[in-house]
Amino acid sequence: MSVARPLKCLLSRRLASATARPATAAPQCFAASFHSSAPLEKRKTRFANVRAKEMGLLDDAAVDEFTKQQFKPYSPEELEILKKHYTPEQMEALEAGEAAIDPKDLTIQGRLRRDPYKLPYLDDFSQLVPSIDREPKKHAPPNPNARWLTEEEAMIDLLMGHSKDLMPLLRWAGIPEEKWATMPEAEKKQIKAELQKFIKEHQEAAAVPEPVQSTKTFMERSMLNDNNAPSNSALAPSLGKKIPGVSGMYKNPIDPEDQGLDDDGVYQELKRRTGMTVRQMMDLSVKILVTRIVHNQTRLGKIRSMWIMAIAGNKNGRLGIGEAKSTEIAVSTIKAKLLAIRNMQPIRRYEDRTIHGDVEAKVGATIVRLNARPPGKDDCPHHITSMYLPTRLAGFGLRVPARLFEMFRACGIHDIAGHMPRSRNPMNSVKATFQALTNQKDPNEIAVGRGKKLVDVRNVYYGGNVL
Amino acid sequence: MTLLSLAHVCSHLQNASKARLGLTSTPWNSSNLSLLLSLQRTGFLSFVTRGGAVPPDPAALSTYAPEPLTTATVARQRLWVGLKYSSNEPVMRSLQIISRPTRPVTAKLEHLERLARGWDSGPTRLIQRGLNLGECMYVSTPKGVMEIREAVERKMGGLLLCRVSP
Repeated sequence: MSVARPLKCLLSRRLASATARPATAAPQCFAASFHSSAPLEKRKTRFANVRAKEMGLLDDAAVDEFTKQQFKPYSPEELEILKKHYTPEQMEALEAGEAAIDPKDLTIQGRLRRDPYKLPYLDDFSQLVPSIDREPKKHAPPNPNARWLTEEEAMIDLLMGHSKDLMPLLRWAGIPEEKWATMPEAEKKQIKAELQKFIKEHQEAAAVPEPVQSTKTFMERSMLNDNNAPSNSALAPSLGKKIPGVSGMYKNPIDPEDQGLDDDGVYQELKRRTGMTVRQMMDLSVKILVTRIVHNQTRLGKIRSMWIMAIAGNKNGRLGIGEAKSTEIAVSTIKAKLLAIRNMQPIRRYEDRTIHGDVEAKVGATIVRLNARPPGKDDCPHHITSMYLPTRLAGFGLRVPARLFEMFRACGIHDIAGHMPRSRNPMNSVKATFQALTNQKDPNEIAVGRGKKLVDVRNVYYGGNVL
Repeated sequence: MTLLSLAHVCSHLQNASKARLGLTSTPWNSSNLSLLLSLQRTGFLSFVTRGGAVPPDPAALSTYAPEPLTTATVARQRLWVGLKYSSNEPVMRSLQIISRPTRPVTAKLEHLERLARGWDSGPTRLIQRGLNLGECMYVSTPKGVMEIREAVERKMGGLLLCRVSP
């Protein structure tokens, strides 16, 4: 960026403002200007607003006029038509309702919608618009106290349900003719309607194949004592809480022992395998050391996956590594972490701070060499330490590459040196370190093999107070 | 102490251990005998004995008497050694020579002291790595072949023969 550019910007801005507004001086503005072009004047509307009051729309006379036009009372002809449809009591109620509402209130307070999204009716509830109106619940709500039928009850229910459809016809057939003639008109009408309904249903049923019909009769029966009542819901009623033969067979997946730490059930399998509690697993130091994006080349293209290597340690001599791959990062992360916890192995440590001797491990082209290191020296003079401070040991420390550092910290090794003379591949370095740590020689095993007694002189001289 | 058969003995014992052999034999000579005996004293070998072409019976070793040396038998004498294994792993896993016939490496007591403590030491240009956990080094001294710790105890330097590690 050259020095000339800001200057050019400045000049052009000044020039532009000079040409745009020659008559009026630009207002002094100290706010930062983010544009090089001249600012526009404040925009004015091209047409003046005219208020309703100025137009005379809010006068009493105008309001009355509007009311008379918009909310006309029923004319005598309209009342005549209404009387044909409604009973006198309903007409009285209609008139009372009309008289209760002042049309002027409707003008001032009400709002007549004229937009394209207005409702297509004002008060016609004879029709339902599915997008607006709720579906009516035709049937009664299910009985909350319904219980399971016993075997005998289920058998009776099945037989009765089968014969229920025949009832109207039987009734029809059992009526003699002279009785029919003397019957009141309403009863005749009812019996006819029942018969029509029965014939219609049986016509529909005849169209359905026989096996389907019988299946429906047997399969779509409610097993509760709700008399096969129709329901508002398309879903079958849920099972009860304590079903005989089932209750007590299944355990709640959320274990109250976890104290709500693992409601997703992520650690449950691990808990069963390792015998650790969820709290213990959460207290482990788990860390992701290596991530790689890997591709699977298919004929449809490359499929990206995330490969993750994690370590887990309890900072007290146990360490594990886990590796997992998934197209989802979250999945591979949690898998790698859980595998690391699952693969935790005891690591042999000398004095709980370093390893036994020097070890070396090789994975691929990566060689990891680890050397045991002495404890640190007391960095305070003794008289000060003993008088004022607790014994403070600096220690040798972890003089190792970063990933190895994390591993040693996780398994509780404090004094160690390590180096990788050849390749430093991240994955192989972690694997080789784990191999080196787990393949340490056991001093006890060496002593037993040689038939000798092995003595650690650090624990022998000066009563073991050699630190 | 001749170094002529040192490399042969070391590599042969290492190979025999890798092959999980129970018994093996080396040529019968005084330098081999002294090295193998000190190995046995350290606990790497279960026994060392002179024998013929046929190995001794391991079950009857306590009563085993080598065949008498005659002009007819002396040429076929060998040193038979028993190899040790602990929890399915060889007790003696690797043997590496230090001195070669063309380049003997001698070390003074001060070097041996450092080596035995695990620190690098040795004559100039021939510095040896310190001993690791469970590792042994064999030194040929005027009092015979012995392990480095014994040499330090007896305050003697000598010719570094080989290092043996589990």
